[in-house]
Amino acid sequence: MDIKLSPEDQAFAAEVETFLTDNAYQPGTDYNAWRMDWFAKAQDKGGWDIPKWPEEFGGPGWSPTQHYIWEKATAEASLPWDLPFGLSMLAPVLMNYGSTEQQARFLPDIRARKTNWCQGYSEPGAGSDLANLKTKAELNDAGTHYTVNGTKIWTTLAHIADWIFCLTRTSDTGKKQEGITFLLIPMKQKGIEVKPIITLGGSHTVNMVHFTDVEVPVENRVGEQDQGWTYAKGLLQHERTGLAGISKSIVALEKLKEQAESVSVGNGDLMDDSGYASKIASLEIELMATEFTELRSLSSAANGQDPGPESSILKLKGTEIQQRIAKLTVEAGGIYSAAWGGPRVGPKFANSGMSGYLSSRAYTIYGGASEVQKDVIAKNVLGIKTSR
Amino acid sequence: MNFDLSPEQQMLADSVEKFVSDEYDLERRTQASKMRGGFAAERWQQMAELGWLSLNVPAEAGGFGGNQVDTMLVMEQFGKGLVLEPYLAHAVLGLGTLLRAPARSRRDALIEQAMTGATQLAFAHAETQSRFDLDNLLTRASADGPGFELNGQKSMVINGGSADTFIVAARTSGAQIDTAGISLFLVDRDTEGLKVQGFPTVDGLQAAELTFEGVKLDETALLSPLDAGWPLLLAAAMDGMLALGAEAVGAMERLYKDTVTYTSEREQFDHPLAEFQVLQHRMVDMFVEYEQCKSLLYRATLEVATQGNAALRTVHALKHYVGKAGIMIGENAVQLHGGMGMTEELPIGHYFKRLLVIDAQFGNSDYHLQKFAEYSQ
Repeated sequence: MDIKLSPEDQAFAAEVETFLTDNAYQPGTDYNAWRMDWFAKAQDKGGWDIPKWPEEFGGPGWSPTQHYIWEKATAEASLPWDLPFGLSMLAPVLMNYGSTEQQARFLPDIRARKTNWCQGYSEPGAGSDLANLKTKAELNDAGTHYTVNGTKIWTTLAHIADWIFCLTRTSDTGKKQEGITFLLIPMKQKGIEVKPIITLGGSHTVNMVHFTDVEVPVENRVGEQDQGWTYAKGLLQHERTGLAGISKSIVALEKLKEQAESVSVGNGDLMDDSGYASKIASLEIELMATEFTELRSLSSAANGQDPGPESSILKLKGTEIQQRIAKLTVEAGGIYSAAWGGPRVGPKFANSGMSGYLSSRAYTIYGGASEVQKDVIAKNVLGIKTSR
Repeated sequence: MNFDLSPEQQMLADSVEKFVSDEYDLERRTQASKMRGGFAAERWQQMAELGWLSLNVPAEAGGFGGNQVDTMLVMEQFGKGLVLEPYLAHAVLGLGTLLRAPARSRRDALIEQAMTGATQLAFAHAETQSRFDLDNLLTRASADGPGFELNGQKSMVINGGSADTFIVAARTSGAQIDTAGISLFLVDRDTEGLKVQGFPTVDGLQAAELTFEGVKLDETALLSPLDAGWPLLLAAAMDGMLALGAEAVGAMERLYKDTVTYTSEREQFDHPLAEFQVLQHRMVDMFVEYEQCKSLLYRATLEVATQGNAALRTVHALKHYVGKAGIMIGENAVQLHGGMGMTEELPIGHYFKRLLVIDAQFGNSDYHLQKFAEYSQ
């Protein structure tokens, strides 16, 4: 057991720091040009544009410690925007279960940030119970095309996506988890209709996606027919670990402390307020523990062990922490947190605090609701047998 | 000991309940929130005609002759319907303060105009630096001949955007943080030097920032006794907290009941969600918190109605509990509705947002816990 960074790791941290400083966005310059240039430079470093991809697909092959160093450094820097759907969710499935043709066809554009993907999993009747999905894909007699009919819901950024990776039902016999097929479908075509869903924060991020007789060539199927659940399960694990956002929370908590110091209370500021300060303290302690839970998880993964229980704990704790930070931001804003969509009034952070908090309520719902996470831990980790 | 309503109170509660269920649904509320002032003028007129605005005006002056208990009955029903009309700002804080103020001709005339709803009132107490402390005031009214000159700023004035007359708490003497040396003033909207900046709030209601630059007021503007406005300011805040508590209890009732209905209908894993014990217990917790809020609401309301400002400690207890329980119930209602709970389409998100704002108004849950603890020392 050792938490000191080796000289090599220290050198790596310095290299990351230099890279991020040298390539930081200069306000006033062309953002998109900078973004593409940033990814190109990161690629030149040897796969820094795709840190989590394995070496055989161009990834940097970092040790867990190096990943941790990268996460920490990039949480503080302002990176070009990026979407996880293609890069972190679909790519691992293609690498593990896709054909070499599919890998060659899709991975380069994902890496180049040329195509935007969205995830077609949840349905109106299949939320926590994802395996209950009903969107039907029927293979024609010639075996060349599937015809897809059904509705997906909560589809993040479907309105700007070029492609959707979709779980569809190809068989109704046997267990619900059997008979699910993983299809890749272009979004811009007849028969696909995207309807916005406005969420509590007042924004349009998620959608309802309707499929009416959408034809999908059989070469767009990943892996075997009826085996999609197996592929998706691995993917969910990736999604859940990615949702914990520990490094980002550490940065956010430091920012929150500064914000609280800017709020006057009586003759002092909000951090002098013992009630508020002890909430911050208890949150920080939780975060310290969770940071090490993540490190333990990274390190067992590096030793070739299953990611196991830690991954489930991380989603639970990580999302809870993000919600608590958002809640304390609203509290710091006081009554000014209520101002909405008008001119800016009160402290600068107060106006975005409320929408951040409202959005944060979804963190314990999506990617496996916390209640379902606990069921999974009870069953898989504690070994408790349930009737359901 | 008796928690039954009088026949008059029962009639009042029934008629408000009917009004809310007839007039309010999410669609109409959303439409009304986009109208001028952020509410429906005809419903405001109806409320005046039904006598609800003058609920606490003595019967001999043409009112209902009620007290905080009657206001509670109205606000609890308003909470169930997420009513937009500025009842709290106008009838509870505004008219309530006028009724307590010493009789003078301007005050008397204003009461009559306010009873019909023709003149709308708003209560301006908070300032940027004051956070939740009512006695932390920098806005100053300096003597100017027989009158005053008002300079300073007021924050998040409920209904400030459409009010005709403001009741403004200002310092006439004393230090920045001091209950002595506070006076209340009447300031009309069109007064020179007053700037009103209205804006929407997250709960679909409206608020405003006020700035006063060399605002000249004559001596009739002084509403409270000079330097001794604190008891009036505190009484208004206490009435405000009781009203908010009642509104919150109404909203909480809708939230826990809607959640029970939804989880009984929504099936996942081949069972209605409500069959899962972990969710059942969560809903029981929501219900328990709601009932506890209601008990503290009755306790605080009855104590204030009989003891006035001396019941402050119980009002701190109420506001602490309501803030905490409201957010607990709101967060869990969203969680148990899953993705649907995150949409603007269902009412529950709107109740939740109102409860979030209620927590922040007149001091949040933490603040009142501290005040309660200080009081007990």
